[in-house]
Amino acid sequence: VETFIQSVVSGVLTGSLYAMIGVGLTVVFGVMRIINLAHGDLVMLGMYGAFWGLALWRLDPFVSILLWVPLMFLGGTLIYRFLLKTIIPGGELNTLLYTAGLSLLIANLALFVWSGDYRTIKLRYALSPMRPFGIAVPVPLALAFGLAIFITAGLYLFLARTDMGRAIRATSQNPEAAALMGVNVDRISMVTFGLGSALAGAAGVLLAPSLYLYPTVGEILIAKCFVIVVLGGLGSVAGAISGGVLLGLVESLGAVYVSVAYKDTIGFVLFMLVLLFRPSGLFGVGKS
Amino acid sequence: VRRLAPLAAVLLVLALPWLTASQFTLHLAITVLLWTVLGVAWNLLGGYGGQVSFGHATFFGVGAYTTLILYLKLGLAPWYGMAVGGVVGALVSLPIGLVCFRLRGPYFSLATLAVAEILRLVALNWEGLTNGPVGLLITALPPVRIASRPINWESKAPFYYMVAVLAVAAMLAAYGLSRSRLGAYLLAVREDEDTAEAVGIDTVRAKVVTLALSAFLAAVAGGFYGLYFRYVDPDAVFPIALSVEMVFIAVVGGLATVAGPAVGAVFLVTISELFRERFLVGHLIFYGLFMMLAIRYLPEGIWGGVRRLLTRHAPS
Repeated sequence: VETFIQSVVSGVLTGSLYAMIGVGLTVVFGVMRIINLAHGDLVMLGMYGAFWGLALWRLDPFVSILLWVPLMFLGGTLIYRFLLKTIIPGGELNTLLYTAGLSLLIANLALFVWSGDYRTIKLRYALSPMRPFGIAVPVPLALAFGLAIFITAGLYLFLARTDMGRAIRATSQNPEAAALMGVNVDRISMVTFGLGSALAGAAGVLLAPSLYLYPTVGEILIAKCFVIVVLGGLGSVAGAISGGVLLGLVESLGAVYVSVAYKDTIGFVLFMLVLLFRPSGLFGVGKS
Repeated sequence: VRRLAPLAAVLLVLALPWLTASQFTLHLAITVLLWTVLGVAWNLLGGYGGQVSFGHATFFGVGAYTTLILYLKLGLAPWYGMAVGGVVGALVSLPIGLVCFRLRGPYFSLATLAVAEILRLVALNWEGLTNGPVGLLITALPPVRIASRPINWESKAPFYYMVAVLAVAAMLAAYGLSRSRLGAYLLAVREDEDTAEAVGIDTVRAKVVTLALSAFLAAVAGGFYGLYFRYVDPDAVFPIALSVEMVFIAVVGGLATVAGPAVGAVFLVTISELFRERFLVGHLIFYGLFMMLAIRYLPEGIWGGVRRLLTRHAPS
């Protein structure tokens, strides 16, 4: 029973960060119909942001996140404005290929500048885990979990309550109708892409103390990310959150009860099954 | 002139080992030709059929592993192993195609990517067959005599001829496909799948057959890779990057053209290998950069653009 609770806890903790990455991807897809293959590389940039913040300025990742999130937002809007905007009318496959190019470009520039060395972030308070009720919880992961919930809840409120959030949801439901109602779809797209990048960056900063950093880590993250958003239904924020937590649980329980070696495979098999039999997502909320 | 140009290109390719003594140049040429085969293979389905696979590393890896496993465990010479590997690759593609072709557009792409990752994880963990992350290593190749002269496996020339023949064969296959009934079906599927179905084309069959052909070529290329480098491991033959590079070579060179992938391979592989020679890492920067430029400014690819210029000026 203890191993079970332990793996549920670590599954939910990791899952909350997966959820954050997934939400960024799914919001962008909802508004622009872009499957952003470079999303994982934006997470990677966030991870390196956390690393260099600590290495150069002795800034704790949970502090430097305040710097990286606005920067990633700005970067995202610039990417949209100068790189993506003209491509989007070309159709889904064109943008898919284009963001694949962007992904390779970002990852290899990072490889060139920062080398392929594996790096880790060592925090003093990460040495011994907390032990509430006898369950080991790594401190950085717990902090990241708290912040991830805070950020995701904030985003949810933003989408639900503000005018900008309503405009984003409207565009995601029907861009033409939204435009007719006076929504500036171009501006909404720019803000949404900035938002998606900021979420990716934030998740990267929060993940950095718990993972190895290397420039091509985005490749693995983006693959997980697809599993998450497809599980939850592409375009659905609630779906991405549940998908993220579900994948976290599947991985940690799978590692214990099936096999450590095949834990990642379970996620992909689940992904294929959902794609084939429930393309609108497990919870039936997304658009297929 | 138009009929002689391909012939002249083939002769030039075959004469290259006499023109240069540099091992690096030959290695570069072998790499270019290997990627030509892969680009052409991907282009059959992706270019003509419009089905963007992000998982062709699946077939490359299956071919590479089949070739090496047959040689190391059963002693089957790797050149026969390459052919068997191709057939195994085509067989593996059948269930994958039947499943993935139920999806369209970007969803198909994501599904193929997942398939390649599943295969990579299987190769990593099925240690009894694949030796896991350690990989498989060929220490010596069996001796072969052609016209009573032994082939020197330490030189690069025999590998060069092997891959050159493969590249020419792959391009002939692409040429044949583009002029065949199947090729016409594929264009119809690419332009409008529902209409293609409505006029009575068995679209699933057209796609599955093309995927099998494409997988065969990619798997044979994988077998050649295993033979040339004498080593395979899961991260060398099943990575996402490998699948993506095939796509980029075909798109940058020119989708749905016979020569496009060759042009793309010459261009991208040469630039990136020279960069790798100098800086060691980050050689895929150019793949990303030229992919973005091509989608933005030259969607018909380099060869497509050149051909447009040529036909504009030619008095026809």
